[in-house]
Amino acid sequence: MAIKILSVDDSRTIRLIVGKTFRPYDVQIIEAANGEEGLVKAAQEKPDLIILDVTMPVMDGVTMLTKLKEDPNLKAIPVIMLTAESGRENVLQIARLGVRDYLVKPFKEDQLIEKAGRIVTLEKKVAA
Amino acid sequence: MNDGANYQELSRRYGFAPKLESASRLTALVARQDADVDEITKVINKDASLRARLLRVANPNAENESEYGIETVEDALMRNGVGCVLVLAMSTPLAQALVKTFQTMLGSKLESIDPNAATPLNGEHLLGTIGFSGKVVGHVYLRMSLGSGRSIAAGILGLKPEEVENNTEVCDVAGELLNIMTGNFKSNLCDAGLDCKLTPPDVKPTTDFSTPREPGSSVEHMAFRAGDLTLYVDVTANPWND
Repeated sequence: MAIKILSVDDSRTIRLIVGKTFRPYDVQIIEAANGEEGLVKAAQEKPDLIILDVTMPVMDGVTMLTKLKEDPNLKAIPVIMLTAESGRENVLQIARLGVRDYLVKPFKEDQLIEKAGRIVTLEKKVAA
Repeated sequence: MNDGANYQELSRRYGFAPKLESASRLTALVARQDADVDEITKVINKDASLRARLLRVANPNAENESEYGIETVEDALMRNGVGCVLVLAMSTPLAQALVKTFQTMLGSKLESIDPNAATPLNGEHLLGTIGFSGKVVGHVYLRMSLGSGRSIAAGILGLKPEEVENNTEVCDVAGELLNIMTGNFKSNLCDAGLDCKLTPPDVKPTTDFSTPREPGSSVEHMAFRAGDLTLYVDVTANPWND
């Protein structure tokens, strides 16, 4: 069964890049454009991994992460932060909330695969 | 373990690139209300590129060095205040992030060029703006030709330029470029105690070439080139908005 990855980012560009990055693998990408949508999709889809931006309209990534970790049904879902912000306060706060990894933009697709591959088993798609 | 040591440990664990020492140091120096001008002067005088940029910022109407009315770092700081140094401290990580974005996401080498020597844009072009507010107030403006915007969008999305469907995609990619550039310097400002918030990027085609700036703010004009692509970046900033 395909691994489910939820990409939460207000930038369509980043969601497209995340989708392109995992295209060679047996992965189903689910998208959300802000933290509020992200929480709804996380509850509906129970993804195996969430890739989460910090600065977003409606609900930012830190708020989404806080709510995710407060929800007994969702708190075990591993999260990788994917953000341009690596300021001390942000990083410390996010680490305290509990994330599995943190990737600073700009990023290479290989880096995202490597970090995701440490958390979930990525299998290449079998050619039809 | 204190926050500083914790952060170092997390930076290692997550594989963060080291921060630019000179930019972080300058930001920290300027962030103090009682900024030590001698110390700032010393840091800038040690770095030929910073010195050249400061003098360019301090002589905004000069087209080349022979037209400079302000010729020393001491003069620049005395006449313009330390706000002009803040612009430099912010522009440095911003430029680094832009160059790194081109390298990692487009595989192309972006070089900083003299903005006075860059071929000026004509007519309609793409303008992206991000504002920041808090203890520092200002804007970052990113300009490029519509063709450059399309080429960059195609490169980042892994498409051919003709496959980029519409201007929405071009604007979204330019907005993300701005996000990446400014996220980097926002981290530097916040780490120095100059907390600020960024507005969402606003990207649109325009024929307006003005660079609006807050009263008393400093501005740095920068330009970058990669092959046929030229990008123009203006940063305006005014510290201590209490």
